Amino acid sequence: MSENAFAPEFLVAMFDDQRRLVGAVNAVRARGLRVHDVYAPYPVHRLDEAMGIRRSRLPLATLAGGVLGLVSALAFELYVSVYDWPLNVGGKPDNSMLAFIPVAFELTILSAGLATVAALLLRCRLFPTIRPRVVGRSVTDDQFALVLRWRHTAFDPQVERLLYEHGARDVSRKAIER
Amino acid sequence: MTPSALAPVSPQKPRPAPRPVQPWIAADVSARRITDEVMHPLISRPGAAWLASFALAVLALAVGVASVAYEVATGVGVWGLNKTVGWAFDITNFVFWIGIGHAGTLISAILLLLRQQWRTSISRSAEAMTIFAVLCAAVFPLIHMGRPWLAFWVIPYPNSRGPLWVNFRSPLLWDVFAINTYLTISLVFWYLGMIPDFATLRDRTAAGSRRLVYSLLSFGWNGSARTWSRYETATTILAGLATPLVISVHTIVSMDFATSVLPGWHSTVFPPYFVAGAVFSGFGMVLTLLIITRTVMHLEHYISIRHLEVMAKVMLLTGSIVGLAYALEFFNAWYGGNVYERYAFVNRASGPYAWCFWIMVLCNVLAPQLLWIRRVRRSVAALFLLSIMVNIGMWFERFVIIVTSLHRSYLPSSWTMYRPTIIEVGTLVGSFGLFFTCFLAFIRVLPMIAMWEVKAVTGHASETTHE
Amino acid sequence: MANDLTFWKNRVHVETSREDLETNRADLETSRRDFLTRMGFVLAASALAGCSRGAVQKAIPFLIKPEETMPGVATWYASTCGACSAGCGLLVKTRDGRPIKIEGNTESPLSGGGTCASGQATVLSLYDAERLKGPTWLGVPVTWQDVDARIEERLRAAMAGRHNLVLLSGTIVSPSTRALIAEWKARVPTFRHVVYDAVSFSALRRATGACFAIDGLPHYRFDRATTIVGIEADFLGTWLSPVEFTRQYARRRRPDAAGVMSRHYQFEAGVSLTGTNADHRVPIAASQQGAVALAILRRVAIEAGVETGAAEVDGAIDEGAVASAAEDLWRHRGASLVVSGSQDTATQIVVHAINALLGNIGTTVDIESPSLQKQGDDRSLAQLVDEMQRGDIHGLMLYGVNPAYDFPDAARFARGMESVALTISFADRLDETASLAHAVCPDHHFLEAWNDAEAVTASFSLAQPAIAPLLDTRAAQDSLLKWLGKEPDFYAYVREFWRTHIHPTDARGRTFDELWDHALHDGVYYRDVPAAKTPPFRPSRAFTAAWQSAAHEVAGQGRSSAAPAADRYELHLYETVAIRDGRHANNPWLQELPDPVTKITWGNYLVLAPSLARRLGVESGDVVRMGVPDAQIELPAYVQPGQSPGTVSIALGYGRQHAGKVAYGVGANAFPLVTSFDGERQYHRGGVVLQKAGRSEPLATTQAHHSMEGRPIVRTTTLSALLSEETEARPEAASLWADREGGPHRWGLAIDLNSCTGCSACVTACQAENNVPVVGRDEVLRGREMHWIRIDAYTGGSEDHPETLVQPMMCQHCQNAPCETVCPVAATTHSSDGLNQQVYNRCIGTRYCENNCPYKVRRFNWFRYAQNEAFDFNMNNPVGRMVLNPDVTVRSRGVMEKCSMCIQRVQDGKLLAKQEGRPVADGDIKTACQQVCPADSIVFGDLNDPESRVARMRAGQRHYLVLDEIGTKPNVGYLMKIKNRSEA
Repeated sequence: MSENAFAPEFLVAMFDDQRRLVGAVNAVRARGLRVHDVYAPYPVHRLDEAMGIRRSRLPLATLAGGVLGLVSALAFELYVSVYDWPLNVGGKPDNSMLAFIPVAFELTILSAGLATVAALLLRCRLFPTIRPRVVGRSVTDDQFALVLRWRHTAFDPQVERLLYEHGARDVSRKAIER
Repeated sequence: MTPSALAPVSPQKPRPAPRPVQPWIAADVSARRITDEVMHPLISRPGAAWLASFALAVLALAVGVASVAYEVATGVGVWGLNKTVGWAFDITNFVFWIGIGHAGTLISAILLLLRQQWRTSISRSAEAMTIFAVLCAAVFPLIHMGRPWLAFWVIPYPNSRGPLWVNFRSPLLWDVFAINTYLTISLVFWYLGMIPDFATLRDRTAAGSRRLVYSLLSFGWNGSARTWSRYETATTILAGLATPLVISVHTIVSMDFATSVLPGWHSTVFPPYFVAGAVFSGFGMVLTLLIITRTVMHLEHYISIRHLEVMAKVMLLTGSIVGLAYALEFFNAWYGGNVYERYAFVNRASGPYAWCFWIMVLCNVLAPQLLWIRRVRRSVAALFLLSIMVNIGMWFERFVIIVTSLHRSYLPSSWTMYRPTIIEVGTLVGSFGLFFTCFLAFIRVLPMIAMWEVKAVTGHASETTHE
Repeated sequence: MANDLTFWKNRVHVETSREDLETNRADLETSRRDFLTRMGFVLAASALAGCSRGAVQKAIPFLIKPEETMPGVATWYASTCGACSAGCGLLVKTRDGRPIKIEGNTESPLSGGGTCASGQATVLSLYDAERLKGPTWLGVPVTWQDVDARIEERLRAAMAGRHNLVLLSGTIVSPSTRALIAEWKARVPTFRHVVYDAVSFSALRRATGACFAIDGLPHYRFDRATTIVGIEADFLGTWLSPVEFTRQYARRRRPDAAGVMSRHYQFEAGVSLTGTNADHRVPIAASQQGAVALAILRRVAIEAGVETGAAEVDGAIDEGAVASAAEDLWRHRGASLVVSGSQDTATQIVVHAINALLGNIGTTVDIESPSLQKQGDDRSLAQLVDEMQRGDIHGLMLYGVNPAYDFPDAARFARGMESVALTISFADRLDETASLAHAVCPDHHFLEAWNDAEAVTASFSLAQPAIAPLLDTRAAQDSLLKWLGKEPDFYAYVREFWRTHIHPTDARGRTFDELWDHALHDGVYYRDVPAAKTPPFRPSRAFTAAWQSAAHEVAGQGRSSAAPAADRYELHLYETVAIRDGRHANNPWLQELPDPVTKITWGNYLVLAPSLARRLGVESGDVVRMGVPDAQIELPAYVQPGQSPGTVSIALGYGRQHAGKVAYGVGANAFPLVTSFDGERQYHRGGVVLQKAGRSEPLATTQAHHSMEGRPIVRTTTLSALLSEETEARPEAASLWADREGGPHRWGLAIDLNSCTGCSACVTACQAENNVPVVGRDEVLRGREMHWIRIDAYTGGSEDHPETLVQPMMCQHCQNAPCETVCPVAATTHSSDGLNQQVYNRCIGTRYCENNCPYKVRRFNWFRYAQNEAFDFNMNNPVGRMVLNPDVTVRSRGVMEKCSMCIQRVQDGKLLAKQEGRPVADGDIKTACQQVCPADSIVFGDLNDPESRVARMRAGQRHYLVLDEIGTKPNVGYLMKIKNRSEA
């Protein structure tokens, strides 16, 4: 954590306890301030409502992937067995649709799953070479950090007190290391 | 399963109504302490027990590698197969390992959807077990081929041999797709689950190569609430996908037999029967592994007796389903009145391989009934013994289904006997070697307990103060 | 030698006249693909030549192409089989100068297109790597000049010193050779010819001479017999002329227009191929043959109102069976036949008497044109051996015999040879006898030589070389000519013989050249039988006296042999269909041919009845020590239902020591157990002691389970039922999906289980045609034999009188084939011609098809069977590989294979029809199994053509499909077997 003296852009409040954190978030938002972000070692219950995070649109990616997988799989199987290389296999019809279902099903699941994960990684900017913007090392261990933009709170001296009232262990201005 | 399983839950709802946190993890464990204890094996020197078992596993693996090398170099003839029995150890082992894999996905995916919190401390290792088991399974379809070096022909890739594709009507081809999908999705699911823990490790490690590795593995995870929110959605979706997947995989494996014309194979009860059997054997293996690990790695308060007991209940349930399936098969054979079918089952229970059949019944149907007794469910020793029996029994189940059906089918003129050779035994030993080598390596290089999940469950994080 | 002669083709080939082929070839444009293929070959070949370490072999194309050879087109030569003395007519298929397949010659009046397993396998013997490369003297290879010089010098000395010269030969059916030998007799007064058959028929020969005053054996006509009684005579398997007899027999097994088919009684100790086909098979002790014959004689005589004057023998014979047999014989007198394999002259006379009383002489027993097979005379042989001991023999030539192996007292014979100044063997290898001879002058294989044959009087056949001699060998006849100081050109000799002896009797008034050309083209020549019917046979007073005394004699024997000791058993020695008397022992195809009855390969064994096995506490595979006063032998036991309780059987022909590496150490030699009685060698004896040896030796069987488990696999019906019920249409099995439209043809087979005897010739024929590898004893023990067609044998009924049903089983070419659906890479699919095809190149060897085949006809290449030291059979040496059929791929390791319904023949037939611009006619195409079948039980054809033979058989009342209920819709169908048991 290198202190940047010139442009300390964020106001960071550290919490030990998820309940206090959620309370603080509610209070801050009740005060009409925008919460920049919250950092936690694990998903905190009721935090999404508190922060007003909208429901994720990841399921759409899943649906797209699934449909793509299903359609392309069936199309390919039909192309191979009916159009490109019709063979008499055990006297069965070229279009043995029932027999094509299992492969189509597997490919549906596969592409739906991969699409979901891909969407997640893209949307959350998760990639091996990305350097994390961590507010503090303890937030991946046992601490919770409520982060506000400094310029939103600069002219409101009440904010820090508010945070302390709601159980913040420590409130400080800092730049989040990149 | 536990009553909560009956509670209606939709996988799409990322945030469920909070339930009273049951103390699944013994004592009060701080998040910091969880991190410390889970990290401990990763940074400490391996103990004698671990070293010994790892050496043993590698030795077994070597035996397998040698056997396979000899077989591939010489021909499948080095196995005991013949003109009538075309599959035996090879496919038995394949189905056995695939079955083992299923418990992992069940614990990590299905129980997640069912909000079974006790899963958290064992899900990671269960998923790891799934992946290693599927790896072991995948070896056998490869080496059982007459010309393994042409195995890639099962993949429908554009080629210059004119229109030359694969036969989508063949259950073996369905297998190819099922196994690969299963392996891929399991790997992704497993890795995704580890990203936050990698971040924890990264931030707990002093700068250096180790930290560099962790930061690469952690994908730049920073614990942002927004990320967490999407992350939970994604894992729930994946769990939702993995659930039908895991069922489809063993359904398709069962179709390798069910779609044939062979008496003893050609049966519609196979898909549910095989899935239940898979979960059954899977839980057997999970129990075996966890009982060993919790003692060797001293994780008794993460993998508590209650965990073991719940798994024992699952085993009791699935074991009983399997028993019912056995009974059903015999009933159908008798009631159907087909002479070939009837003979297949008479021969199964009283023929030259009857001893295999009765081992199977003893291990899979009779022994697990002891789990009705609470004291047995809560006795680690008894559970360990039972889990081993289940593993043995389920291996024999596959052997019985495959060999007894094949060696005496329609035309008595072709009836033969099958005797395994030392090479086949070698491949089985080798697959166990591969499995345990991977697993033992896993528990030393990766967090074998999902820290963030356990922390979320314990929810004690706020109680403890930070000095 | 072969090149400077012009050859004639058989009819089939003449039809495709050479011009057509030439023009067709000219029309064909070389496509880009062909060009690439050839270019590829050239590149590959040059590359290989470049990197091969061995001597670079230059392949020089024909600059001036021999006009009779067309690359890639088979050339056919008519010839005569040398496998046994039956001399069946053959057509030899050669490709690029190599004989690769033997087919029966349909022109032959005797064998009529059929052949046997050993006949089929002789083409492999041609390429036997153990054959001598040239003459040897005292075991050292020498030149022909050298060996001739030494031999001629000694022969001159012998002739000068009036020393005894003996030619010891097997039966010689070649009239020209007999003439040559006669010439030797004329030239050399001290020269003698002794004929020796390892399995002797001398008693029958003497009896026939005594009764009918002819030098030969009767020519039996089973095709004229409505009632057949066989007494220890395996006439369908090994007795005299099996192919001819099978052909005749099968003809009468099909109900004729009047609904009449033959009824067959068989009295025998061991279960023979013939016994399994009998309507009534009666197990008797080996010693009871005479008693049975006598019992029948008495009954027949009573019917005929003749006094036998012989007392009844109180042997434990099945009176009922004898009675109903005699009754049937009498009912069909004139159209009935009794044959016996007994080596007791009196018994044979009695049998002749029965036939005479029944008026069968001249109808089913032809003595006008007797058979000239089996001329062996045991007495003169015994005498020769004595003389050899005394040192009275100066020169001994051994031609087609191996007495040091198959003479009962081989050691004595060997000692005798030591005291002979000059011993010459014509053997093709250093066998047991040749290795003791001074000189070995290896004879040609019969496919390399000119020869002729007269197995049955007045029906001749010719043998012509189908290939130039592979090795530095010389026809035995040429050697004999040479040493006689004549021009060693047997071809000219044969021609001359035919000019002087056969042409004059030709009734058709052709020039000799015409006759010769025709005979050589057809391969056979038979005089038109004189229209004037000879007067019916009248038993002379002498004849009557003869058989009456014989009857007394037999009765006497019966009394003496009756009531043997409790722990003493009888032994019965027999020939197997494949190995016969051991001459084919080094032929891997025959060693691996499952015995038609026991299905055991690679070795002989001691067959005993279940009751006896229980008494001795023996199971199949337990080694039993069998002792007689003068010999002892240890063999694994085989428990055979139907075996006579008091008699054990052992096959001859095994335990060869010097036949070659294939035969070495396979089984044990049973010839030392042969005894002698009344001057004739006997193939059964009493006073046998049996005891367990305490170890066991697994039997390499291809079928472990012989019960049909009450499943409708081989279906049978009775003649009466067949005649009463009328054909009802069988419902077609319902299908889940619409049938696919097929192509112009739908090939199929129909197999008549009623005429199929299970002789297994088709198995070897298929092996020869389709390059089926030999896997050896160990792999057979592991259940991995590779035969594409097998003969399933099921046994049912009581263990004393079991019924045996046989069923040829090969790929059924199902319309809805279970194997096809399950292959992940579509390596087995269905052709538009209705064939189930296996694509070797595409197969990755998952074996799912094998598992899913209800008929278990698929075979997997567990190892590389070609060019692999571990499988050191014909495919592992360059000479042996010459037999491979170039039209059929040699399968690589790890791929599945199975019956292709001889796709290469099908394509050939289609191509031929195309060239001639006509549709494929029914009968144009014959599969290998169909062509070889002497019983004509297998019919191939187009099921789409309602007029084809196969389609008509399929429409017939007896037709059924195996495992029809699974809905596989096979293209191979079967015709039910008919039981013609007497109601009595």
